[in-house]
Amino acid sequence: MRKRTALMNFLIAGSAVALLAGCGSSSSGSNNSSSSSGPVRGGNLVFANPQDAQSMDESTIFDNNSIWILEQIMQPLYTVTDNGKGVMPWLATGYTMSPDGLTYTFTLRKGVEFSNGKPMTSADVKWSLEQTMAAKAGWGYIDAAIKSVDAPNASTVVLHLKYKWAPLLADLSLFANGIVPNNYGGKTAAQFYQAPVGTGPFMWDYWHKGQGLKLVKNPHYWEPGKPYLNSITWTDVPSDNTRQLQVTSGQAQIDQFPAWATVSALKSTPSVNMTLFNSTETNYLAFNEKVKPFQDVNVRRAISLAINRPSLIKAVLFGNGKPANSLFPPQVPYYDPSTPGYQYNLAAAKAAMAKSSVPHGFTTTITIPSGNSDYATIATIVQSELKPLNIKVNVQTLDPNVANANFQAQKYDMSLTLWTMDIPDPDELATFGLDPTSGAKSFFTSYDNPTVVKDTHSAEQITTPSARQALYNIVQTDAAKDAFMAFLYYSPYPYVTSSNVRGFFVTPLGNYHMENVWLSK
Amino acid sequence: MGRMTFVIRRLLLLIPTAVGVTIIAFFMIHLIPGDPAQTILGIHATPQKIALLHHQWGLDRPLADQYWLFMDRLVHGNLGQSLYYGVPVSGLITSRLPATLWLIIYAGVIAIVISVPLAMIAASRKDAVRDHIVRAVPLLGLGMPAFWLALILQSELAVKYRLFPVTGYGSGVIGHLHSMFLPSLTVAVALCPVVIRALRASMLNVLGADYVTTARAKGVPGPRLFVRHVLRNAIIPAVTVLGINIGFLIGGTLIVEQVFSIGGIGQLMIGSIFQRDFPVVQAVALVFGIMVVLVNLLTDVAYASLDPRVRFDR
Repeated sequence: MRKRTALMNFLIAGSAVALLAGCGSSSSGSNNSSSSSGPVRGGNLVFANPQDAQSMDESTIFDNNSIWILEQIMQPLYTVTDNGKGVMPWLATGYTMSPDGLTYTFTLRKGVEFSNGKPMTSADVKWSLEQTMAAKAGWGYIDAAIKSVDAPNASTVVLHLKYKWAPLLADLSLFANGIVPNNYGGKTAAQFYQAPVGTGPFMWDYWHKGQGLKLVKNPHYWEPGKPYLNSITWTDVPSDNTRQLQVTSGQAQIDQFPAWATVSALKSTPSVNMTLFNSTETNYLAFNEKVKPFQDVNVRRAISLAINRPSLIKAVLFGNGKPANSLFPPQVPYYDPSTPGYQYNLAAAKAAMAKSSVPHGFTTTITIPSGNSDYATIATIVQSELKPLNIKVNVQTLDPNVANANFQAQKYDMSLTLWTMDIPDPDELATFGLDPTSGAKSFFTSYDNPTVVKDTHSAEQITTPSARQALYNIVQTDAAKDAFMAFLYYSPYPYVTSSNVRGFFVTPLGNYHMENVWLSK
Repeated sequence: MGRMTFVIRRLLLLIPTAVGVTIIAFFMIHLIPGDPAQTILGIHATPQKIALLHHQWGLDRPLADQYWLFMDRLVHGNLGQSLYYGVPVSGLITSRLPATLWLIIYAGVIAIVISVPLAMIAASRKDAVRDHIVRAVPLLGLGMPAFWLALILQSELAVKYRLFPVTGYGSGVIGHLHSMFLPSLTVAVALCPVVIRALRASMLNVLGADYVTTARAKGVPGPRLFVRHVLRNAIIPAVTVLGINIGFLIGGTLIVEQVFSIGGIGQLMIGSIFQRDFPVVQAVALVFGIMVVLVNLLTDVAYASLDPRVRFDR
């Protein structure tokens, strides 16, 4: 029986943090530095978000603005490490795995209480996981490998799997597997999620929809001395400029996602820190293989080769990104930096086009959502860069809802899309992007390479990291050579914080631990 | 016809207006392509998940059935459930309506406070330099995009001098007056030129009337003449102009709400259209319709109150 102890888990987390310190993120200031007198307690932090939260129901919510808030209330058994490539124990302290890899026994952290003062037990964990497993219109699929959950005693939880499942811990670290009180504390799910209760550092105060959502300090929080802040208010501020003015005037302390055009100026603004956190956001140009001539690999290769990524990054991100070479972003475990994703080479593009079924060119359409200036810029550049291949590109701008619906119904020729990781494991992205039989039909492209599909699913059941890495290297290479999408660029997460904000850090998955944040005097 | 009968009759006319608004809003939002389930599920949408949500929300039923259900709920005082937030629509509207009402009323008051003295200055000497200045300068307000003016006001008065908050609605009456000043001023600046011109023209008209000449001959001093004799009569057409423009404003506060981050009903409407949150769009359209009718009614009542020659049955 393989056993991973709590000590071992913390060592993994520690090395991840050390690695991160080495890699770092670009910032004009050091908002993670602590003063000699230590963290200051108290204060209300205002967090200006471009969009209101939608729901606090962890099992059905897909909106990031909601997810990153509810993570301050409800916590899972494991959480993602700061570098986004691993997990560390959170409400569990460790686990053991049976020799057949089908049974996992978790030990729960002692002394954890919900914000209502009641202790967290295995019955709460069993209930929570079962609710997410049953969420058919939500995140149920992420727990599809779990057959059943047992709670043999108050501090032990046993998961029985249907099959061997390598990403289990990563799946358990998903916010959707956050722990809530057994039977929702006697409420219905709808009632419970109007004012959810969890073990997190903050607890519910109010939500005035479209105006602000406030959480206050949880007095029963299990990490000694944390959180430092008395409360956090997330406000809904759609205008980029208004969020920036709020932070520079001191009305808000954190601006989520300032406009790329302002990043450079904000880096030299004295009253704020402009930080670009490593992220898993990857931008792609998708080709619909149900439409001619995109079934032709030479056409896809030619287009991929004709796109100048550095120019795109300069025009869209004002230089704050990196060209993408793989379906996976670098912050994902098993990313292969040597993946041969096509980069700009016009001569090679012309050669690929000459070998294609349409050597003299063709007319096609790129569909983009209205109101997205980044996508409008990319579409214009792509339109211009495909001219030397005699590919005439018409830009079709649609209402965002319609553009999204058309993309998912595969009513498009070429479309821009992106992905950010939900879990610190490539499985979700690989299945979503490469399996035409999954709900997403290979990222809505209908790309179908049976070898890639087979390798993708084999990697789900291999628990040896080196063997998984080898298989994922093959998957990334095959997918890149097939150019089923043009991998465009990796983008960081931009955040502006007031200069008195300390300890704010965003993981590559986008989540943040507000229990570590404090406001200096 | 007495005033009360007139008001009741106009209020009864609200019913067919409201029904008309519900029909237009309901079928127009359903005509637009797009799907609330797809919006909520985002990139994780699958046909199975979409079908589940459609069934849960009743969107898999025929459109006529859905409209009938909406009307049935409406007559029972239930505006339905927001598909996006999963909470009652009435709660969303009641929590956001005060911010929009504050914006409209505050802007109206500021517009009057600015317009009346300026119109008096302009009308006091027709075609003089001050008249030309008062007529020309406020026109900038009409041509200036609201978001641009808002930005200047925010940068100068909120960020540089810290006289007002950059954004928000504030709390308590004093908080609202303080926080909503800049957004209301932004709206008022666009309103002023129209009101000033209407008021000035009307004042010049009144200034030529016999009773004003008589008052002058009797030695009524200038300021008193303006306030007691000219303004009261001249303000009547301006009330109509203001009323009509406030009607337009109700539907046009969105940009100001957006820039100043005021969680009002305009912002709710646009967000709900993008999210295809059908019940919210229908309910907000209904509220907008009712508000416009009520403002017109109030304008008529105010008109009649200011001018005894106006009868309610006309």
